[in-house]
Amino acid sequence: MVFMQSLTLESATEKSVVEPRLLPRLHVKAFTGGVIVLLFIIIGIIGPSIAPFDPNKQELTAMMKAPAGIGAAHSLGTDNLGRDILSRVIYGSRVSLLVAFAVVFVSGFIGIALGAISGFFGGKVDFVIQKLVEVVWAFPPLLLGITIMAFLGQGLFNLILALVAQRWIPYCRVVRGQTLSLRNRDFVTAAQCLGASNRQIITRHIIPNLIQTSLVIGTFAMASSIIAEASLSFLGVGVPPEIPTWGTMLADARIYISTAWWLPLFPGLCIFVTVLGINLLGDALRDILDPRLKRSGAKI
Amino acid sequence: MISARRFVTALTAVTCLLCSALGVRAQSRVSIGVTETIETHNPYGDSVSLQYGIYSEVTGPFCTYSYNKADFEGRLAERWKVENPTTWIFYLSKNYKFNDGTTVTAEDVVHSLMNRVIGDPQSKQKASVAPSVVKAEALDKFTVKVTTDKPTAPLLSFLCDRLIVTSKAAFDKYGRDAADREHMMGGGPYQLKELIPGQRLVLQKRPDHPDAKKHPNAPDEVIYRIMREPEQRVTAFLNDEIQIAQFIPPHMRQRIEKNAKLRIAPIDSVEIMFLAMQPKPPFDKKEVRQAVCHAINRDQIIATLLESFASRLDGPIGPGQYGYDPNLKPKMNYDPEQSKKLLAQAGYANGVDVELQTPVGRYTLDKQLTEAMVPMLNAAGFRARLLTPEWATLWANVQKGTVPFYYMGRGSVQDPSAALHQYFHTGETPRIGYSNPKLDELLDKEQQEFDPNKRRQYLSQAMSILTDDAPACFLWRHKLLWGLNSRIDYKPLPDARIYAIDMAVKR
Amino acid sequence: MVSYLVHRLAGTLPVLLLISFLVFSLIHAAPGDPTLLLLGEETNAADIARAKERWGLDQPLYVQYLKFVRAAAAGDFGKSFKYAEPVINVIKTRLPATIELAVFAIIIASLLAIPLGVWAGAKPNSWIDNLGTTFGLFGISMPSFWLAIMLILLLAGVLNVLPTSGRSTYGVAGPEQTGFYLFDSIMQKNWAAVWDGLTHIFLPALALGMNMLGILMRVTRSSILEVMNEDYVQTARAKGLQEKNVVWRHVTSNALIPVITVVGLELGTLLSGSIIVETVFAWPGSGSLLITALNARDYPLVTGIVMTYTLAFVAINLIIDGLYAVVDPRIRY
Repeated sequence: MVFMQSLTLESATEKSVVEPRLLPRLHVKAFTGGVIVLLFIIIGIIGPSIAPFDPNKQELTAMMKAPAGIGAAHSLGTDNLGRDILSRVIYGSRVSLLVAFAVVFVSGFIGIALGAISGFFGGKVDFVIQKLVEVVWAFPPLLLGITIMAFLGQGLFNLILALVAQRWIPYCRVVRGQTLSLRNRDFVTAAQCLGASNRQIITRHIIPNLIQTSLVIGTFAMASSIIAEASLSFLGVGVPPEIPTWGTMLADARIYISTAWWLPLFPGLCIFVTVLGINLLGDALRDILDPRLKRSGAKI
Repeated sequence: MISARRFVTALTAVTCLLCSALGVRAQSRVSIGVTETIETHNPYGDSVSLQYGIYSEVTGPFCTYSYNKADFEGRLAERWKVENPTTWIFYLSKNYKFNDGTTVTAEDVVHSLMNRVIGDPQSKQKASVAPSVVKAEALDKFTVKVTTDKPTAPLLSFLCDRLIVTSKAAFDKYGRDAADREHMMGGGPYQLKELIPGQRLVLQKRPDHPDAKKHPNAPDEVIYRIMREPEQRVTAFLNDEIQIAQFIPPHMRQRIEKNAKLRIAPIDSVEIMFLAMQPKPPFDKKEVRQAVCHAINRDQIIATLLESFASRLDGPIGPGQYGYDPNLKPKMNYDPEQSKKLLAQAGYANGVDVELQTPVGRYTLDKQLTEAMVPMLNAAGFRARLLTPEWATLWANVQKGTVPFYYMGRGSVQDPSAALHQYFHTGETPRIGYSNPKLDELLDKEQQEFDPNKRRQYLSQAMSILTDDAPACFLWRHKLLWGLNSRIDYKPLPDARIYAIDMAVKR
Repeated sequence: MVSYLVHRLAGTLPVLLLISFLVFSLIHAAPGDPTLLLLGEETNAADIARAKERWGLDQPLYVQYLKFVRAAAAGDFGKSFKYAEPVINVIKTRLPATIELAVFAIIIASLLAIPLGVWAGAKPNSWIDNLGTTFGLFGISMPSFWLAIMLILLLAGVLNVLPTSGRSTYGVAGPEQTGFYLFDSIMQKNWAAVWDGLTHIFLPALALGMNMLGILMRVTRSSILEVMNEDYVQTARAKGLQEKNVVWRHVTSNALIPVITVVGLELGTLLSGSIIVETVFAWPGSGSLLITALNARDYPLVTGIVMTYTLAFVAINLIIDGLYAVVDPRIRY
């Protein structure tokens, strides 16, 4: 959510033309970001086959072993129950990416739909939806997540739900703004003259113009979803313990900070690098799509 | 660059030197890092061991349990007698004086018991201090008669180290809130100097108190600082910010042992840890419950995860707890083959799905220990899953009786009567929902039996039934690690109670 | 302009009401019973019933809610179950710590981000620009609780130059006056306490402010970039002014407008982000109080804290909008 403000402010203030000398930087950003994200996605997909151990296999006699280095059995060490950290980190990527994708898609769908409806129809519909936005938005984000999880209980599905609860709003706002400006454009009027229904206009004419913006928002939203999921897991209201996630690993590591530095280091590093990669990608996407964002005049 | 810490230490050192040079004895001060919090100014407003301990020391204590003698000792109440099964007479010492010089009398005891513990709506202590008390009256200035509604043999385990005797006169004069906040007075060897709820509490020794005179080396000032996070506590301990650190996790002790000025004191706690099972399928069959008990390799868990800082329980209680029988049968040894046989007998030869629930961070390594139990259960023929709900949810559900299988601890089990009634007597609480008429009969008998030998027999029989029928698998008692600065001579107690008067500070 | 603000103010009241309803329902709907959590382990049914009556929990929900709204309108958020004190008092004792932390986070973030952002924006594609952009990217990608743990590990653990947690060393501070520890110490000229407080607040403020640092860096840089290409800047250059002067006098002040907006908007996020940082550093602020209250299902206290945060958020938004309208004469509603 934080990034949404910076997103439009930044993009609104940068030059509208992508000058040639900016292109090499663009390529570096996009390339690096893309590589990182792709790497994690691949690890996420083929994870089970490359993980050296079962992430939940405990070895009570081999607890808290320091990292043994690349090539050794436990290259990143073992945790407080003797489980292999490398394997847990690999499996953890699956959860983080799964949750992130799911949250972004669901919240994106809801947000875009509501935003388009809100902006297109205006009037009472707009008023109600915007009031809903204000109320939900004013909630301290983490708190809403915690309360919802306390209410629903542990679980992957519940976690996604708790995260979606507030995250549809940035899409809604930006899309509403853009819809407002698109609504009065000629092609919309033309479609209306030709007898297209409102639904057809929204789905066939307006939304396709919004996809690119949503893509940029979605990319940054993925990053913040990963951090949010880790935060909730860190506070203990995430998924049940049989599913290893980076956030839970960090939470478990809290009492071992001074005795086993590798326990908090690696999961946190993974979160950091993944999020970094996604942000790089998002930056690059935004630079490419910049002219559209500037012209949208969207105000958040 | 001089850090503030070093600056202050230097300043203190210089001051101390000056003081000793001038013949002025510097105040000895001990800071203790504790994990429980004191949240309120009302001494009766909470029911945690730390609070009981501190306020008991400020106001008495009324009487105290001596682990050395394995019996109760008189303090404010010097001695007592049981007149008839529902009537107790307490004889008070004449030497206990409040901070304003007035003597502590029977009226104060009656007022504290009846008006504050029982009658005050804000009191949270009734069930732990005076569960069966119906009346208290002052027979004369130093004699109190306490009447219970049914014979209660373990009454002392409720009153001693828990009954907080405050001043009736102050209450009448200033009203409850002002009396608690500004005129908190007690007859004990320490007085309350400062209380910031959630942060710290400061006690100051009363040099004229008879107990203070008996223990001249007890610290002049004691500061209880709330430090919930283990990392924070240990670091503060290593930096000498606190001289006593409560409950150090086993894996952090090496850092402390490396320091010559500090030491670790492991003490058996009186909190029993167990796995509770509700008698609903699949746990309605005794064989399945017994299978769970045989499946857990307690020795391995204790040796590896707890680094031997726990003692295995073979039955509801262990050495040092009242009624302990070392020959209690049966013993639920680690025997996964036996578990599989039992499961087959119960009709679950192909395994059975169970969900174990545990709190996180409430007990020592609770999540890790139960995580280690899951593969053990699986190896014994179960298909086990672990759930880690947050404490509020779990506790609510346990109280409602909707958690079929959970890991839990029961503290303050110095006399097992209260705990056994609570968890295993028909109809007391829905936490397990177990019902066994034979057990009920024994538990009722022991509660009303004043002859210690007969009582122990009843308890033994009851616990034997419990262990065999296994509505719960009794696992272990943690050895709690206390960090002590070598300047302080102190033997920590098995409950979380801290009596500073028993400390000796080397100068 | 005044009518605009009044209009906005009136518009926020129903929002606040709706929020209070949302908080109220959510917290009551969550499983968990405060009587069970706050009374002792050995409590019985009679005690529980008494407590329920005293706390008003035996009434139907809508009655409880109406009572709450009526009292809240008069400024009374009820009494905390756990602390047996008015909620307002409990919050008052803990809120200054959080505010202090948030303020310091902003200070650290601004002191580092704004000069760097200005420099980076003024010299696009230079090594400074690359450094600044990387820094900004790192800032927004860093999970705050991981940063907190790493900082503790490195600076407090390995190097042992800073304390791991807490707000102060016992015995150093003087009497508490405003609750703002550093402010009180400065007023009392207790320099040892000031230094002590600074060493304790540095790590948590850094962990909390890192995200904001990244954002500020990026926003400042883009803002500078845009302004640099404006006509009046070209004019200044054409007049022969030194580049340095151009940047600092003409560009920066104009470029800072969106930056201030972001700072204001981020204040709300900071307040909620402090929840995790306070937990990791055992910082006695309202964030950790919220977690405690939530775990104890202390309904009045939870509602009180959430409403306080929300009110702050709404107030800040209002002020920012007002400032915006004042500063930028093009904006009128």
